[in-house]
Amino acid sequence: MATPKSDRPTYTSEAIPSDVTAGAFLGNPVLDNVVSCMVAMNAELWATKRRMKVLEAVLANAGIADGKIEKYVPTAQQAAEWIADRDRFIELVIGPLANQGYKPFSSDFDKR
Amino acid sequence: MIARRQFLGAATASVVLARASAAHAAVTQTVAGAGGLAPGLPRGVDGRLARLATLDLESLQDFTLGFRLLNGNVIRKASMDAFDRLLEREGIDPTTPMTAQAVAALTDKDPAITITARTWLANQQITWKTLRDHFHQYSDHYLTEMESADNTGPGTLELAPTMKIPDYTRHEIHIQPGGYVGDPFAGYIYHYGTNSFYIAVIGHNEQDQVHKGSAQRLPLPADGKVRRILDMGCGVGQMTVALKERFPDAEVWGIDVGGPMVRYSHMRARRLGVGANFAQRLAEDTKFPDNYFDIVTSYIMHHELTADATRNVINEARRVTRPGGVYYPIDFNTGGTAAPPRAMFGRWWDHRWNNEVWSLEYHGLNFTDEIAARGFSMVKNAVAALPGFGVRHAIKQA
Repeated sequence: MATPKSDRPTYTSEAIPSDVTAGAFLGNPVLDNVVSCMVAMNAELWATKRRMKVLEAVLANAGIADGKIEKYVPTAQQAAEWIADRDRFIELVIGPLANQGYKPFSSDFDKR
Repeated sequence: MIARRQFLGAATASVVLARASAAHAAVTQTVAGAGGLAPGLPRGVDGRLARLATLDLESLQDFTLGFRLLNGNVIRKASMDAFDRLLEREGIDPTTPMTAQAVAALTDKDPAITITARTWLANQQITWKTLRDHFHQYSDHYLTEMESADNTGPGTLELAPTMKIPDYTRHEIHIQPGGYVGDPFAGYIYHYGTNSFYIAVIGHNEQDQVHKGSAQRLPLPADGKVRRILDMGCGVGQMTVALKERFPDAEVWGIDVGGPMVRYSHMRARRLGVGANFAQRLAEDTKFPDNYFDIVTSYIMHHELTADATRNVINEARRVTRPGGVYYPIDFNTGGTAAPPRAMFGRWWDHRWNNEVWSLEYHGLNFTDEIAARGFSMVKNAVAALPGFGVRHAIKQA
């Protein structure tokens, strides 16, 4: 585990690393990596969207300094709207993972 | 449930919270004068929680929190539906106990199950990586912040840089990089990372709501005397602080194997104006005198210990609890080495991929019986200090 580049005491000792990065759950490790990228991309996208919301709110209040954006506290109504939009956004981009397809490519119709 | 406005730091703070804010501002000013200042600091406090230092980091954590909610409520349901179909397809009785190994082998190649595992894991890794990257990028600032608090009260901090750290405690529990002992900023990372853990399972805890509730429900000795309290494996000190707030006249101690954890605990307690004491010590070797404490507790610690360590900790709890005193370790119900497939699947998954290395050993114990066998009387029909978890209200026999 990396520690800060200084001789200041950190009161740490060596950890035993987990092996989670070796996990390959999806039959093809590349597919695991693609899914991990997708989740990370969505995290970044959400951060961008959230910053935009703050920026727009700050501008609307006639303040444009970066410090004002960082410290902005949303109104109760904004907070409620944002949380609803966050959940809508996540549902849109991640929700398809809940699809329960289990029929093989070669399967025939149950009914026709 | 706490309102989102509260979560983001609306100006509804009580006198106590206002005092905490002032203390935090004072600390931050000191830090700004003594070392590097991370961009965005100070961003203020959200009640008891210092806001993360950048808006983007806060937003990334907001995403992983939201993802956990979706995962817990929607994706995991789809996964469990697929699990039920798998049982049916394989002709397995859903009520017949299975071992962890059998469940693992059964689920290994089901895509609806493994995609849930993959996305959950990716989200957890993002939680830790983004936090760790930030605290290491601004390491000078955060080291200075802790150093500024190390030797000042209220409350005390004892660090033990030469203490032998048992190997079983070195694992990266919850896949947190460096675990509790290996990263200088383990306390910061754990605190902010675990806020999202609570959402999908228990509820909001950004204001220590869960810990405060547990501290309030903790039973007293029959004589009502509470002069000293010990919180074993205190993590970032949320339970310790909540206990000190409930019993302001008591001497309250939080101990943990992780030096960075107790360091953060002390800094945060100080910021909140709470005079709890923290020490880097082992729960199985607390160094306190015999019969010292009126109440000894721990908050969801034992499932992270080996079975042997759990037995040693119970013995130590008996030694330091006074006759008639209360020992109340909070943790999961134990479920044995075999359980119905659905229950065992969740237990195995948490053990293997959340890196809860010792949790199956914990479940292999009958924790309640282990306590009762070591000089404690167990209170029947006791109140759950943490609803949904195991209830072990023990009284030390005279």
